[in-house]
Amino acid sequence: MRGAALVATLALLPPLIGFHPYYVYVLSTAFLFATLATAWNLLAYGGQISFGHAAFFGLGAYGAALTSLAGVSPWAAIAAGGAVAVAGALLIGAAAARLGGAALALATLAYAELWRGIAQNWTAVSGGGAGLVGIPPLPTLAAVPLDLTRGHTGSYYVSLAVLAAALGVFGLMTRSRLGLALRAVREAADRAALLGIRPITWKLASFALSALLTGLAGGLYVHMVRVVEPDLVFGRFFSIVPLVMAMFGGLHSVLGPTLAALGLHLFSELLLHPVAPALHQLPYAVALIVVILYLPGGLASLAKAPRD
Amino acid sequence: MPLSTLMQTLVSGVMLGCLYAFVALGFAMILGISHSLNLAHGEIVTLGGYIGYGLWAGSGLHPLLLIPVAAAALLPLAFLWHWMLDRLPAPRALPSLALTFGWALLLQALMRVLWPGPHRLISSPSLGASTRFGWVTLNHGRAVVALAALGAIGALWLAVTRTRWGRAIRATGLDRDAAALAGINVYAATRITLVLAMALSGAAGVLLATTHYVYPTAGVELTLLAIVLTIWAGVGRLLTVLLAGLLLGIAESLTVAISGPAWREPVIACLLLASLLARPPVD
Amino acid sequence: MLDVRSVSVAFGGLRALRSVEVAIADREIVGLLGPNGSGKTTLFNVVSGLVRPAAGEVWFGGVRITGLAPWKIARLGIGRTFQIARPFPRMSVFDNVLAGVTFGARPASRRIDRAREVDRLLATVGLAEKASARASTLSLGETKRLELAIALSTRPTLLLLDELASGLSPKGREEVIRFYARLRERGLTIFAIEHSLAVLNEVSDRVLLLDQGAVVAEGPPRAVFASRELRAAYLGDE
Repeated sequence: MRGAALVATLALLPPLIGFHPYYVYVLSTAFLFATLATAWNLLAYGGQISFGHAAFFGLGAYGAALTSLAGVSPWAAIAAGGAVAVAGALLIGAAAARLGGAALALATLAYAELWRGIAQNWTAVSGGGAGLVGIPPLPTLAAVPLDLTRGHTGSYYVSLAVLAAALGVFGLMTRSRLGLALRAVREAADRAALLGIRPITWKLASFALSALLTGLAGGLYVHMVRVVEPDLVFGRFFSIVPLVMAMFGGLHSVLGPTLAALGLHLFSELLLHPVAPALHQLPYAVALIVVILYLPGGLASLAKAPRD
Repeated sequence: MPLSTLMQTLVSGVMLGCLYAFVALGFAMILGISHSLNLAHGEIVTLGGYIGYGLWAGSGLHPLLLIPVAAAALLPLAFLWHWMLDRLPAPRALPSLALTFGWALLLQALMRVLWPGPHRLISSPSLGASTRFGWVTLNHGRAVVALAALGAIGALWLAVTRTRWGRAIRATGLDRDAAALAGINVYAATRITLVLAMALSGAAGVLLATTHYVYPTAGVELTLLAIVLTIWAGVGRLLTVLLAGLLLGIAESLTVAISGPAWREPVIACLLLASLLARPPVD
Repeated sequence: MLDVRSVSVAFGGLRALRSVEVAIADREIVGLLGPNGSGKTTLFNVVSGLVRPAAGEVWFGGVRITGLAPWKIARLGIGRTFQIARPFPRMSVFDNVLAGVTFGARPASRRIDRAREVDRLLATVGLAEKASARASTLSLGETKRLELAIALSTRPTLLLLDELASGLSPKGREEVIRFYARLRERGLTIFAIEHSLAVLNEVSDRVLLLDQGAVVAEGPPRAVFASRELRAAYLGDE
C-alpha cells in the first residue's frame, strides 16, 4: 500500500519539477497506451483475444471528435465517445458470441478494418480519408491552478487519472462477480454454464467495459492531438499495441501490461524514434514475436515463482 | 449496364479472380498443413512484389523471367516459419495468429525502410498492350498474369494429388499423428509445404506487382482476401480456392463497375466478417 | 419432481435414448444402472441441458425444462457431477465452489454469507484446509470431493451423481454411503448412476436399468439386480 502511494506521488511529479513539455507529452501518451493495454487485458480476462481494439479506440475518437465539434464540452464529448465505443463493442460481441480463440481474433481484426473503411468513405460524417481537424483542446479546470490543467500538463494529469481509473476498474473486476464469472468462462464455458453462469452475459459485459475504457482513451487522445483520421485511429497500430503490451506484460495480470506499456513506449519514443523514426513500430513487433516464442506468460511469469 | 460493359467486367473479374486465387494459395497451404494462420501472408506476397520490382528495375529483364528469382529469394522465410511453428504449443491457431501479426508489422517496417517513397509498379511495356476481341478488350499483362496463375494452381494441384509426397502432404494436413503412425515423414511434408507456399507467395507477388501498385501496407488487404478465399473454399482444398477466387474477382469487378472503387476495402472486411461468422475456419 | 417423458436422443444414426420415461418424487433417491453405452450419461446430459432431445419432454418441479439453456436449468435447482471430475483446473478450490454459490439458485446477497457457504461446503467434503490450493494440484480423491462440493454449490434440489462410488476402496465406499445418507437428511432428491449393489441397496429407494437407450427394468435394487433383464443387458443373453 505504501509502495502504491509512493508510485502515485512520483507519477504526479514530472510536470511540477520542470520536465520538458515533450517528455511530459511522451509520458502522457505512455499512460494512454497503458490504459489501452489494461482495457485489452480486461477482455482477455474472459479468454477473448482481440486483434481489433482499434475499432473501439477509433469509435471513441470519432464519437468524441464529432460531439466536441458540435459544440459540446470536451468532457461530455469524451464520455459520448466511450458510449459509442460500447455500442460498437456490443455489436461485434453479440455477433461473434459463438466464436472463440483465433476465429474471434480474426473477426475483431476484420471489424476494425470495416470501421476504417467506413470512416474513409462516409465523408459527410467522418470527413473521409482526410479526417477531422479543429478539435478543441481539453478545457482548463476552474478549481485548480491554471498551470496544472493547461496544455501538455493538463493532458498529463488527465491521462494519468484515466490510467489510474482503468487499473482500479481492472483490480475491482478481478475481485468481483464479473471477474469470477470470467475466470470460470475462460477455463471451461460449458462447465460454468452448469453452475448457473450465462457465458454470453459476462462476455458481453467484458466487451463493454473494455471498449468503454478504450473509447474514453480514444476520446482523450483526439483532444490531445486535436485531429482524427481513419488510418490513424482505426489503423492496425492501435490494435496491435495494446495486444503486444498486455501479452508482453502478462495476460490476466493487473500491473504487468502497464509496466510493459510504459517500458515499450518510452523505449520506442525516446531512444529509437530520434535515431530511426521509420522503425519506431519495430519494438512492438519484436516484443510480440519474442513473447510468443520465448515467454508465453509474459513478464508477469518472471515475477512469480514457477508453479505446477 | 450495357451488355458490352458487363462482358468486359466479367472478363476482368475472371482474370482478377485467378490472381486472387494465386495470392491466397500460400495462406491456404500453410493453414492446411500446420493449422496455423499466417497473418503476415500479405506482407510476404508484397515483399515478393518488391523484390520482383527491384530486379526488374535493376536488370530490365522480362518480369516473367524474374518470378523464379523472387520465389527463391523468399525461401529462407520457409525455414524460419518452420522453426517458429515447431515452437508453438498446440492448438496453434491463436499463438500463430499473434506471432505472425508481429511479423506483419516487422515486414512492413522493413519494406518502409528499404523502399521508401512512392508506390511501385512493374510497368513492363511488353505487358502493356491489349487486343480487342469483339466487345471485350484483353490487356496482355492481365491475361498473362491470369494464365500464369492458372498454370501454377494446376501444377500444384497435380503435384499434390498425383505424387507420393503430395499424398504425404495431404495426409499430414488431415491428421498429423495418424500420418506419422502410417510412416509418413510429417516433418519433411511440412517443410516441403512451407517451401512451396513461400515460393508461390513470392511468385504471386511479382505477378501482382505487374498489375497492382505495391506499397508497404499493401499486404493487409491481401491477407484478408486470402482468409476469405480459404474460408469459402474450405481448409485443405486447393482447387476450390480457384473457384472462390473467381467468385470474389467477379464480385469485386461488378461492385467496382457499379459503385466505384471506394467501398472495396470495407466490402472485403465485411465479407471476411460474414464468412467468419457463418463458417469459422478454426475454433 | 423430475419427469422425463418419452425422451429420445439420436447422435447421427445412433439412437442413444429411446422413449425413456423416468419419474422421480421429491426426496427420493433413485439409482441408474446400465452397461457402458446404454445412455446413462446422455440421460443426465438431457436433464442438465447439455443435450437437446430429438423428442419428448423433461419437467422439473412443474416447469418444462426441455431445451432450456444449462445455466437456466442450474438456477432452477439441478446440480450434477461428472464421472471424470471437471473442476476449473487453474482456479483455487475456494473459487471453484464460490462460482456456483454466487451464480446458482437463490444466491446469498452478501459477500460474507457466500464466503461462509463456501467454507461450509468445503468442510462438508473435507477440503477446508485446501481452500487456497489450485484445483489442478489436488489428488484424485480430493478432486472427486471437490467435484461434489461444486455440484452442491448451486443449492440444487435435485442432484445428478455420476458414479460417485466407482473405483473406490471398500472404506471409501462406506464413506460414500454415509455421504448419501447426509444428502438425504438435507432433503435432496437424487438420481445416481452407480454400479454396486452394495451401495445401491444401502442408499436408493429404487433402481432403473437402462439398456441400449431404453429403460428395461425398474424396482427395488435387489429385484433389479436379480432380474433377467440385468443379465441380458450385461451379458447379452437373450
